[in-house]
Amino acid sequence: MNALFDFMDKTIAPLFEKGGKFERLYPLFEAGDTFNRTPGDVTPSAPHVRDSIDQKRLMIFVIYALIPCILFGIWNAGNQFNLANNVANATFTTDMLRGATMVLPIIFVSYAVGGIWEVLFALVRRHEINEGFLVTGMLFPLVLPPTLPLWQVAIGISFGIVIGKEIFGGVGFNILNPALTARAFLFFAFPAQISGDKVWVGTAKTAFENSPIFGTVAENIDGVTMATPLAVAAAAEKGSDAVTALGDAGFTLANMTIGNIPGCIGSTSVIAILLGMGFLILTGIASWRVMLSGILGCVAMGWLFNVLPLDNPFAALPFVYHIVMGGFLFGIVFMATDPVSAAATNTGKCIYGFLIGVLTVLIRVANPAYPEGAMLAILFMNVMAPLIDHFVVQGHIKKRTAYARALNNA
Amino acid sequence: MANFKIKKGFDVKVIGKPKTTVEEYTSQQLFAVYPSEFEGLKPRLKVKAGDTVKRGDVLFENKKNEKMVFRSPCCGSIKAVNLGARRFPVEILIERAAEEKSITFETYTRDSVGQLSREQVVDHLLNSGLWPLIKQRPFNKIADPDADPKAVFINAANSAPFQADFSVVLKGDEEAFQVGINALAKLTAGKVHLCKSVGSDIPDFGNAESHTFAGKHPSGNTSVHINRISPILPGDTVYTITAQDVVLIGKLLTTGELPRTKIIALAGPAVKEEFRQYYKVQIGASLEELLNKSLEGDEVRVINGNVLWGEKVSADTCVPFYGSEFFALEEDRSRHLMGWTMPGLFQYSSHRVNLSSVMGLGHEWKLGTNMHGSHRAMVVTGWMDKYQPLNIMTDFLIRAALAHDTDEMIQLGILETDPEDFALASFVDPHKTDVCGIIKRGLNEIEEEGI
Repeated sequence: MNALFDFMDKTIAPLFEKGGKFERLYPLFEAGDTFNRTPGDVTPSAPHVRDSIDQKRLMIFVIYALIPCILFGIWNAGNQFNLANNVANATFTTDMLRGATMVLPIIFVSYAVGGIWEVLFALVRRHEINEGFLVTGMLFPLVLPPTLPLWQVAIGISFGIVIGKEIFGGVGFNILNPALTARAFLFFAFPAQISGDKVWVGTAKTAFENSPIFGTVAENIDGVTMATPLAVAAAAEKGSDAVTALGDAGFTLANMTIGNIPGCIGSTSVIAILLGMGFLILTGIASWRVMLSGILGCVAMGWLFNVLPLDNPFAALPFVYHIVMGGFLFGIVFMATDPVSAAATNTGKCIYGFLIGVLTVLIRVANPAYPEGAMLAILFMNVMAPLIDHFVVQGHIKKRTAYARALNNA
Repeated sequence: MANFKIKKGFDVKVIGKPKTTVEEYTSQQLFAVYPSEFEGLKPRLKVKAGDTVKRGDVLFENKKNEKMVFRSPCCGSIKAVNLGARRFPVEILIERAAEEKSITFETYTRDSVGQLSREQVVDHLLNSGLWPLIKQRPFNKIADPDADPKAVFINAANSAPFQADFSVVLKGDEEAFQVGINALAKLTAGKVHLCKSVGSDIPDFGNAESHTFAGKHPSGNTSVHINRISPILPGDTVYTITAQDVVLIGKLLTTGELPRTKIIALAGPAVKEEFRQYYKVQIGASLEELLNKSLEGDEVRVINGNVLWGEKVSADTCVPFYGSEFFALEEDRSRHLMGWTMPGLFQYSSHRVNLSSVMGLGHEWKLGTNMHGSHRAMVVTGWMDKYQPLNIMTDFLIRAALAHDTDEMIQLGILETDPEDFALASFVDPHKTDVCGIIKRGLNEIEEEGI
C-alpha cells in the first residue's frame, strides 16, 4: 500500500502539478487524490492547527443521510411496478431487483452527466472540483418519478448544474438549489412525464420483462397511470371530504407515512426521511432551524385553512396530511437546508423555513394548477433568502451599535 | 470592578501545558532586534554592520515620527544587518561585548510618576524606545502618541493554549507593575482597565479598574475585554498593552535603564516534557541553545505566540520585542486513507461529524499542523460564529471584506476586532478559508482609506 502511495506522490503527482504534462487536468487529479487520502498540506499561517473536518466529509455525510430514502425508493419503485402490472410471484427480492433496474440507471445518468459538466467547468475555470455536486447528483434522481426517460434525466441535470449553479461561479455562488432547479425545469418542459398530478408507475415494456428473476407480468398493459395523493385531494369535489377521497383512492395516513405509494423515488416514505433527518441533526450538518420552522409553517398554514370557513375540501384536510403528502418533508429536510441557497443568519433561517411551510400549503390548496407546492415554495424562498438576510443583518447592525452606545454612555 | 462570563468559546485541547516554575536562562552572547515585528513601520537605520553600540543606543527610528526610536538591548558590536524584500531590514544581529556600557534614563518612584504630565510620560517612553509596547485599537498598531484614547486596556488574562499566565510573570515585580500602571493612567482621560482571567491570583492595583473574565477561549482576548467594557465606535481610540509589558515600562521608570529580562513560557507537544515551563530570558537574546535542547520531533514548527495565534519563527530565534510565549508542535504532513468516511476517532475535531468531538474532547491531543482538507469555495455554515463572543456575523463580515466594502465592514463591527479574534473561525471552517487573512486585509484597507 505504502509503495503505491509513494508511486502516486513521486511519479504521478508531478505530472499534474505546475509545469507537469497534464497541468490542465490538475483539478481532476486533486479530486481523485484527496478521495484516496486526505491532503498532507500544513497550515500556512495562524491558526496553526485546524479541525479535521472538510467539505468532502460533509458532503459525503449528506449522502449517508440519503441512504434510507435511496433504499426505500428502490424497493418502492419495484413494488409499485409489480403491483400495477399484476406481476405474479413478486417477492421482496424481485421488487428490489425490478426497482434497481428502474432507479440505478437514473442515478447513474445523473452522476455521469452532472459529473462531466462539473469537471468541464472546473478544468476550464481552473478551480477545484467541489464535492457539492455529489449531493446534487443524488438529490435530483430522488425527486424524479422512477419511470422518467433517461434522456430527460440527462437534460434535467445538465440544466441544473449549468444554469442553476455553474454560470454563477459554482458551489457557493448559486442562488437556487441546483437539484430543484433541474426538477423545476423538467416539470415545466416535460409535464407529461413528470407533472405532479399523474405519476407513471411503469409500463411492462421495460427491459428484463417477464424474466424469471423479475417475475411474470400477467397482463401486458401499455402503461399505467395513477394519481398521487395531492392530485386526489385537489380534485376532491366541493362538499365532499378529502380524507374519504384519499381513502377511496387507496391513500391512508399509514401508507403515506410508510411510503409504499406511487410517487417520486426518494420522497414518498416519511419514515426514511425522518431517519435521514435524525442523522443530519445528530451530526449537525443541516440546520435544524430550517427543518423545525418549516414543519411549523406547514402545520400553521394547514391549521389556518382548517379553521377558516372555506368551501374547499382540500382546505379542510387535517394539517397532518400536508406533512406526509407529496415532497414537502423531503424538500424541507434535504433541499431547503442547502446552506448555499438558504438564508444564512439564524433568525433568517427560521423565517425562511417557516415561509416555505406556509407557501407549500398555500400553493397546494389555493392553486390547483400546481398540486405540488413544496418545490415552488423552496425555489421562491431561495430567491427571497438574501432579502431576509439583508433585513436580519440590518437589525443586527442596529442592535450592536445600540449596545456599544449604551455601554459607552453608561 | 466587574466579572464577565463569556458564554461562547472553545478550548483547543492540546498537550504541552507549561509548569509554573521559572528557570533563569541568561548570559547569552548573540542578540537580535527585528524591525519587521513592528507592522507598518518604516525604519531608518542609525547603525551599520561593524558599529559598536552601547546598551540603549538608538538602532533605528520611525521615518514617519522621528521621536519614536528603537534602542539596542545590549552593549556590543553590530554583527550584521540582514535585509529582506525591498531592502527592508529584517533583523539586526548584535554580538555582546564583555564589558557593558549603557545609557541611563531618569528614575521615578510610584509617586513621582504621578506628578508627570501626559507629554512628559509620552516623551519619556518614546525616547526610551518602549513606547511601541503600547498599541492602539482599531487596527492593533503602535499607538499614536497624539491620540486621545478613551481608555487603556491592560491584558493580564490568558485563554489560548498556552498563553503565559501573568500571575507567574508578575511575582516579585508588583511594584514595577504599579509604577507602569501609574504611567499609563497619565495617557488617558478615561480609565485604565486591568483584565484578568477568573481564578488567577493577581491582586488589584491602584489607578486601574480590575475586571475578571471567565469562560473558554477567546475570553482572554483584548477585543473581548473591550467589547464587554467599553466597545469601540467609529472614531474611538483605545490603547492596549499586555500586562508583562506594563512591568517592563515600570522597570524602566524605576531603574532608569532599559529592562533586561522578561519571562516567557515555552510549551507545546514538540517541547520535551521537562522543558515545558517558564524561562526568565534576556530581551533580544538568542534562544537557539534553549530550543535546541528542548525540542523533539523530526520537523518542528516554533511559533512566537500560542497554537491559535502567532508567527512562525526559526528555531534560532531571539527573544522578540512583543510576546511572552513560544509554542512548538510538529509539522504534520500525514495523509489519511479515505478521511471523508472514516469514523474520525483519531483526528481532533470540534464537530459532531467526527466521533472524536463526542468521545475525545475529554483528553488532550498531540496536535500537528495538518490542514485536514483542501480549500473549497466558502459556504455559509454558521459555524464560524459558534465560538465568537464578539457579536459579529463572521460570514457577512468576510463577504464584505472580500467585496472591499469598507462601509459595510465598519457597520458589521470590524473595528472592534483583530485578526486573532477569528482564529477559532479559521479553525472550525470546513472550507479552509483564510478568515484571519481576509479580515486583516479588510482592516488594512480601512486604515488606508480612513474611517
